[in-house]
Amino acid sequence: MSDIAVRVDHVTKSFRMYHERNQSLKSAIMRGRTSVHEDFLALDDVSFDVPAGSTFGLIGSNGSGKSTLLKCLANIYYPNKGAITHFGKIAAMLEVGSGFHAELSGRDNVFLNGSILGMSRKDVTRKFDEIIDFSGVEQFIDQPVKNYSSGMYVRLGFAIAINVDPDILVVDEVLAVGDAEFQEKCFQKFRDFKAAGKTVILVSHSMPTVQAMCDQTAWLDHGVLKAAGPAKSTIKAYLKSLNVEPD
Amino acid sequence: MKYLNEVWSSRELLFNLVSRDVRGKYKRTVFGQLWSLANPLALMLIYSLVFGVFFPSNPRAGDPSGLNVFALWLLCGLLPWTFFSAVVSSGAGSLVDNANLIQKVSFSRIVLPFSTVGAAAYNWMFEIAVLLIAITIAGGFVLPWIPLVIVAMALLALFAAGVALLFSIANVYFRDTQYLLTIVLQFWLYLTPIIYPIERVANKSAEIGGLGGTPVRIVDIYNFNPMVHFVALFRELIYDNRFPDPLEWLICLIWAAAALSFGMLVFRKNERNLAEAL
Ligand SMILES: Nc1ncnc2c1ncn2[C@@H]1O[C@H](COP(=O)(O)OP(=O)(O)OP(=O)(O)O)[C@@H](O)[C@H]1O
Ligand SMILES: [Mg+2]
Repeated sequence: MSDIAVRVDHVTKSFRMYHERNQSLKSAIMRGRTSVHEDFLALDDVSFDVPAGSTFGLIGSNGSGKSTLLKCLANIYYPNKGAITHFGKIAAMLEVGSGFHAELSGRDNVFLNGSILGMSRKDVTRKFDEIIDFSGVEQFIDQPVKNYSSGMYVRLGFAIAINVDPDILVVDEVLAVGDAEFQEKCFQKFRDFKAAGKTVILVSHSMPTVQAMCDQTAWLDHGVLKAAGPAKSTIKAYLKSLNVEPD
Repeated sequence: MKYLNEVWSSRELLFNLVSRDVRGKYKRTVFGQLWSLANPLALMLIYSLVFGVFFPSNPRAGDPSGLNVFALWLLCGLLPWTFFSAVVSSGAGSLVDNANLIQKVSFSRIVLPFSTVGAAAYNWMFEIAVLLIAITIAGGFVLPWIPLVIVAMALLALFAAGVALLFSIANVYFRDTQYLLTIVLQFWLYLTPIIYPIERVANKSAEIGGLGGTPVRIVDIYNFNPMVHFVALFRELIYDNRFPDPLEWLICLIWAAAALSFGMLVFRKNERNLAEAL
């Protein structure tokens, strides 16, 4: 086992910004090519290492490229330049309950969602009780998920995703809808993860949470890595740039 | 080869997505799965009325089965067609409809269009089973041909899957595709010998002869439509109860293999770009 879980190596990711809605045949034919565009750099030559067994925070203002970076980690986007190497199985929670079918019961959706996340039927069956227990929606498990409250939806989705049992867990701000009890439950789960020597990478706008949970953080600003290192100093620098006094 | 491996390892997900579609589709309807038979049945009624009674297209009797029922003759071509057109039109929308999933989770994207093939095939099996029973009641001896019917179904499913892959990608870049597709499918239906027998085309073509002084006849162009050959397979197996010309099998096999490999090639080339392009 190496002591680095994820290596982000000079990653650059650009998006094409189109000047008009281009996805119609007419405009393509009129112009003789698909589109006029310019490139927008969402990530600009970002490099850092995430130590194995740490809880790593990613902070920055809206639109600074945090989700983009996580998507590159999760093989949803592919960087234009640079490379991301990870050591161990990675699972990403960019949104919970993706692929839930509203008319199907919670139970059916657990199996469906589990397999979308890469679990075999056997895995899901084995962990089914644990998932239901963690989600706390046992009473409604045979109800169609469209009748769930948004918090219950997130709870169930999170409970499935956390049971994928990866070595590296990547979490975008998905916990905002859960109540305080559930959030605490999730943070406890992250601590268990850490205790088991696994790595968690999380994005949050709540500095107290990041402060409490993370050992290391990276701060992105308009796609540029401003600072990476111990949580405390990075957060301080970030808050200072916002003219907010840290508590 | 590696790509095939990856696709194969996603088969459980494919199965789950198919069962999501199948089970989610008729939830909260009174007649449930019976609805899947309603569409072909309605088409059968209307076409039988128009092309069996008003403008009789007079297909020849089944040989050697001796069957002479227009509705059954029609269904032998119509059911493969409705399957094909269902796969292609729902497959074309499969990536756009699941845009959110594609942008949030990493998995083998190709299972999305493939799952529409599976869901349509599930309905199609019921339809064909009902047709086989009806043929048997009408006096056809279709039982020994069932294994070959299944082979023909598999070939058509592979062909339809390949075509659906191409349209699903095209639809990501040009949303016009799905609208264009409904028109294309209309033309395609009437350019396939489903509601009229192919003899009509052959006769007309012989009458006219070579086009513009060339030896190319109408029927030669007409035969470029792969569905002509698939429909011929089903008609001969189910309605005539005889073994189709090996050349016909070969043509279908080549079309299926070509469509699927080209479809997968194009899909694979574009797969990584999907999350951004959607
Ligand atoms: N698919 C895309 N096409 C074009 N631009 C994109 C795409 N995805 C993200 N962007 C752009 O990249 C930039 C970074 O977006 P990103 O979602 O990574 O921000 P973020 O740091 O997660 O912000 P937030 O805190 O609001 O979640 C934004 O300016 C956004 O407009
Ligand atoms: Mg974000």
